[in-house]
Amino acid sequence: MCSLLPASFNWPNFSSQSKRIGKFVPQIKTMPLLELQNLKKYFATQKAVDDISLTVEKGQIFGLLGPNGAGKTTLIRMITGIFYPDEGQIIFDGKKFDPTNDVAHIGYMPEERGLYKKMKIGEQTLYLAQLKGLSKNDALKKIKQWFIRFEMESWWNKKVEDLSKGMSQKLQFVTTVLHDPKLIILDEPFSGLDPVNSNLIKDEIFNLAKNGATIIFSTHRMEQVEEICDHIVLVNKGNKILDGTVKEIKQEFKENLFSIGTEQIPTMNGNAPFEIVGTKNESQIVRIKEGNKPNDVLQYLLQQGTAIHSFNEILPSLNDIFIKLVEGTPAARQFLQKESFGQKV
Amino acid sequence: MQKIWLIIKREYLTRVRKKTFIISTLLFPILYIALVFGMGYIAEKSRQNLHVAIIDSSGYFTEDVLNKQNSIDKSSNLTYIKDSVARVIADHKAAGYDGYILIPAINWQSGKTDSLLFKADKSYGSSSTAVVEAKLNRIWDEIKNEKLGIDAEKRKILTESRISLSSRNIKDETANAKTAEGIAFACGILIYMILLIYGSQVMMGVMEEKTNRIAEVIVSSVKPFQMMLGKILGIGLVALTQFFLWIAFVLIVYNVGKATGGGGMANAMVGNMQQMFSSVNVPLILFCFGFYFLAGFFFYASLYGAIGSAVNEDMREAQSLSFPITMLVIISIALMSTAIANPTSPVAVWASIIPFSSPIVMMARIPFGVPNTVPWWQLGLSMALLILGFIFTVWFAGKIYRTGILMYGKKPSWKEMLKWAFRKN
Repeated sequence: MCSLLPASFNWPNFSSQSKRIGKFVPQIKTMPLLELQNLKKYFATQKAVDDISLTVEKGQIFGLLGPNGAGKTTLIRMITGIFYPDEGQIIFDGKKFDPTNDVAHIGYMPEERGLYKKMKIGEQTLYLAQLKGLSKNDALKKIKQWFIRFEMESWWNKKVEDLSKGMSQKLQFVTTVLHDPKLIILDEPFSGLDPVNSNLIKDEIFNLAKNGATIIFSTHRMEQVEEICDHIVLVNKGNKILDGTVKEIKQEFKENLFSIGTEQIPTMNGNAPFEIVGTKNESQIVRIKEGNKPNDVLQYLLQQGTAIHSFNEILPSLNDIFIKLVEGTPAARQFLQKESFGQKV
Repeated sequence: MQKIWLIIKREYLTRVRKKTFIISTLLFPILYIALVFGMGYIAEKSRQNLHVAIIDSSGYFTEDVLNKQNSIDKSSNLTYIKDSVARVIADHKAAGYDGYILIPAINWQSGKTDSLLFKADKSYGSSSTAVVEAKLNRIWDEIKNEKLGIDAEKRKILTESRISLSSRNIKDETANAKTAEGIAFACGILIYMILLIYGSQVMMGVMEEKTNRIAEVIVSSVKPFQMMLGKILGIGLVALTQFFLWIAFVLIVYNVGKATGGGGMANAMVGNMQQMFSSVNVPLILFCFGFYFLAGFFFYASLYGAIGSAVNEDMREAQSLSFPITMLVIISIALMSTAIANPTSPVAVWASIIPFSSPIVMMARIPFGVPNTVPWWQLGLSMALLILGFIFTVWFAGKIYRTGILMYGKKPSWKEMLKWAFRKN
């Protein structure tokens, strides 16, 4: 491939749905940080991860989605070196993943938060940082920075059991990112947080990504995914069933639905390039017929002399796509077949 | 290695700094002394003074004789019943007696034991009746001596001229079976306590990490095996610290006692200890104690750690799963008493060589003398096997630990845990 742009050039995400700001600079990815190649992990009773391959680019915020029991945690545990894959391999930062040394470059916040309840917060943070390989002095310096940033300076001699749930979540986040990991894996980072702290953590996630960290964000809360992630992968029953940017995926699952705000209900005749499927908030929900473009709709309406004050494409929310795929509707089944067939060829 | 060191440090410091550690370290010797003296005191106190009615048909246990004995020995008063026999038998309580003894027409020449009964409305222990029995026997002896014409001098010859026999090891002149028994018992019990107390501390520590869910955070930084080993070594050091503090306590008491030459009790203790130190090989015992204490601790603590990793927060689950292991420790203690009674019997020899019981049983044999009671080959074999044993249990436990620490839900059975251990990866 010889093009002016590298093959992996990733166009910025200008999706109208995206509320994200401050990440308009297109990032040129030189090398993926993490590559999973045909990973398999079977337990006695189930195939927890059954042949999953995926690529996480440097600096990406990568959404790992899936219902409970889909195999997300098993996948993450292999990436963090807790489990060995039965088959397949992991490439971390260009080299074969070596758990003993590479874990120092990974920060992992499990869904089930855990800290020593009776240990003083300062000591505990220091301990966890040293376990990641930081020297005592470096660790102390970093702890100080983060504690000031999160307004936690006064907590040093408190115990975790004295903290509220939100406070211990913040502490857990700090212990996860303190050693400047290249890869940060956050499993449901917002569960149990109030909106203020949620935003604090969210901003921090963007900040870390901006500074070069790669983030894998595991959740089943779709609205957060749309807001935060560059790229998503959906897993279900140990299989990857979806892989792409949020925009790509939405395009793929769109149903040619538009919402048209008009003065009066448009008159329909046989030539109309669309059909009305419903109304919502005084707007018509229409589906464009096969072979027509949005412009054809506008043209038709203009010819009719209809006054238009809004015209929006309705893209399916990730939530809809998620539910559709996971619940196994006929369409989803078809999609799954197509996908798995395609993979095996 | 760096990481294991960090874990050891955390495990050690968080425990040693705890108030409970300081208090238990100080309190244990005090409680131990209190227990030893307290038991004697309670035994003395709990012996009841009985008020016994004697109904005599033999004609030997007369009122005069009984009164004479009562004046010599004030405990348990014996009263001769003359007129109110029927009343006492009908209701001894109302008559003011704890019970009564019917003495039949016994014959001093019979040359056999006459069994009498102390009849009372409730049961009395042998420590209470022993006093009465001794009193009756003194009277009976006096009567027999008188009948046989044995005067005080002849009686002294009869009772005092005796032969006493104790064993002496001709290869090891300093060996003293009585002292050895005491030391053996103390060593065995100490190791037993350390295995159970600190073993269960390892189990609780692992359970705490699992229920706090910090385990997953830690294993994303270190290998589960390092995590387990760090915990075992850290807690082992705590046990060692406590043990050294106790030794220091004993030495201080010994030296202070020796220097001041103070009170009777201190003197007695110093004397006992001097005798003890001179009759056994103290450095060897200390070395072996250190070895069996640590190796035994690794052997059992790793198994307890494996169980802690397999169960959830439920204490009952942990207890039922750790029962077989606790059983091994208790069997060892049972074997220990056999070994102390007969340190060269085959049971004692084998129990002191087989790894699970060797920490306790071998420690109970060593004070009897190496190499005469315990040949060097036995000691060497026992140590080698115990090292192999704990390497195996640590490896085995590490396998279970790795799976168990991240497994939530149903309590696994021993069968499932064995599967975890022998699964590849």
